[in-house]
Amino acid sequence: MMRTFLIITSALLIGVFFMQSATLRPVNEESRLAEILIRLGQNRPAHYLETIDPVKAEMGKEMVMKARTENAPSGRSSNYISTIFVCTDCHNQVKEDPNPAKLSPEARLDYAIKNDLPFLQSTTFWGLVNREAWYNDDYILKYGALVKPASTSLYESTQLCAQECSSGRKLEEWEAEAINHYYWTLELKLKDLELSSEEYNRIDQAIATENPEIRRSVIGLLKSKYMVYSPANFVDVPVSKAKGYANTAVGNTEVGKEIFDRACMTCHQYGGPSLFILDYSKKSFRHMRRNITRNDQLSLYEIVRHGTYAELGHRQYMPRYTADRMSNQQVEDLRAYIEAEAE
Amino acid sequence: MKDLLIILLVCFGASANAQMEGWAQTFKDTRVINGHSVETSQKGAMKFVISHRFGALNGGTYELFGLDQSTIRMGLDYGLTDRLTIGAGRSSFEKTYDGFMKYRLLVQKDDNSPISITALANMAINTLKWENPDRENFATSRYFYTWQLLLSRKFSDDLSVQLMPTVVHRNLVPNEDIAHDVISIGGAIRYQLTKKMALQVEGYYIPEDQLASDFTMPLSVGIDIETKGHQFQFSLSNSMGMTEKIFITGTRNKWTDAGVGLGFNITRDFRIRGRK
Repeated sequence: MMRTFLIITSALLIGVFFMQSATLRPVNEESRLAEILIRLGQNRPAHYLETIDPVKAEMGKEMVMKARTENAPSGRSSNYISTIFVCTDCHNQVKEDPNPAKLSPEARLDYAIKNDLPFLQSTTFWGLVNREAWYNDDYILKYGALVKPASTSLYESTQLCAQECSSGRKLEEWEAEAINHYYWTLELKLKDLELSSEEYNRIDQAIATENPEIRRSVIGLLKSKYMVYSPANFVDVPVSKAKGYANTAVGNTEVGKEIFDRACMTCHQYGGPSLFILDYSKKSFRHMRRNITRNDQLSLYEIVRHGTYAELGHRQYMPRYTADRMSNQQVEDLRAYIEAEAE
Repeated sequence: MKDLLIILLVCFGASANAQMEGWAQTFKDTRVINGHSVETSQKGAMKFVISHRFGALNGGTYELFGLDQSTIRMGLDYGLTDRLTIGAGRSSFEKTYDGFMKYRLLVQKDDNSPISITALANMAINTLKWENPDRENFATSRYFYTWQLLLSRKFSDDLSVQLMPTVVHRNLVPNEDIAHDVISIGGAIRYQLTKKMALQVEGYYIPEDQLASDFTMPLSVGIDIETKGHQFQFSLSNSMGMTEKIFITGTRNKWTDAGVGLGFNITRDFRIRGRK
């Protein structure tokens, strides 16, 4: 009897040992950042997924790229989330900042040029699941109370984006779940943080120890390598539109052309989501130049800094560029390009 | 026939994922003035087209320079894909219903082609009451068909030109001296005046001996104004028709007699399906 008890107990202990070994994967470049943070004692985010379902992730990707999936659980195509926009009109799906810990519109534009990326109003979905707040800072000025639940929940922020930002509809639960699975395919891995071997050792040691101080310090180390939230600071138009923004250098037309190509033309080219079509003709540039000093949305400053709002019958609108997504200097560069092309 | 269907399905299938980004926008709308332009509707976009044509200016003050006589066409176009558009409308002129299918065969720039080519097939039915209902009347005698090839080139940011070889088939004609099939060649020019305004001219040359002698060639001049989501087109034309069979084969007024009337088109796009 005693012998049987010992055999069963040993077998269970061995089983538990191997189960733990299987779960606790070694820390390396491919390790999931979110998983490491959890192992270091950070609370599991509400949107956290232990494993990514590739079928759901593919459905989610389709919805992000095309505003619907052709492989809905019903076996048919789902209804469009928005007939006006798709997520990629405003969000890149890849790394867009050379240093994820230090976001700057200048560095982002250089990176966009090198990697042929659009230069968009909203933050990339790459690493979205690793952030801890969404619709940050001044977005409350635009969306009011709607921002409160969205700022602390990726699920709620996705719903806000689907309904308000994309002029669309509320996501069904399966849709939100599939999109979350897709988001997790774009999560940060340790390799994205460009850690040194010494820092990898610190992570290993912190996981091995029970010391909360050491663990907190390593969590701090990891979070210093990327932005846990994207700042969003609204800026007003210059005091004098004729003179442009104060404390800026003379606009650089080459930079301005890149902004025109990668920002404006993403939406304003023929076939894009905007109803206001731009092209490279002199008349188009002259139209923009003529309206620079106006006090309505035809002014470059007004449209970049205030955007427009969806209206009844005109659900297409333009989201604004915050200071964090386009600097005052870049607006001046864009202006310089427009004025040069209008000559 | 089976082969043709397969070719069409392949073409439509290939275009299902096509996007208009990078296409040359030769005209700003799917209509020039009376006729179609080479442009097709964006996939998933429903276009509501409302057109008015007034009587001739030479009606004088009694007809308020033609404003007392107006005809209207209301129609809907829908982009099944970026290349394939279908549409239907109803015109008060001869109470005509029409339907069309338009397919973009080639796109300037995107397809590395110097020109854009669109094929158009249109059918119209006159639904006026029978003049003599006591005799045997055939519905088919009121059917009209139009086939057009729209060939266009955007020469510069400002100048676009379009040619429209056209065949209009009329199932019933007044007498045997008049052709059932009327062959014509249309031409249209668009010149961009400002960012939002353009001058457009559209006309058709109809070789002789195809129409009765009192018919003439249609010529229209218009201003096209682009606004957010709308297109306004104001025109002067010697034709009151808004379907091909009327303005190509049924124009009687002459510019030389001030037989031209005011007209306008307003188009408005609505998104029914997503863009991708």
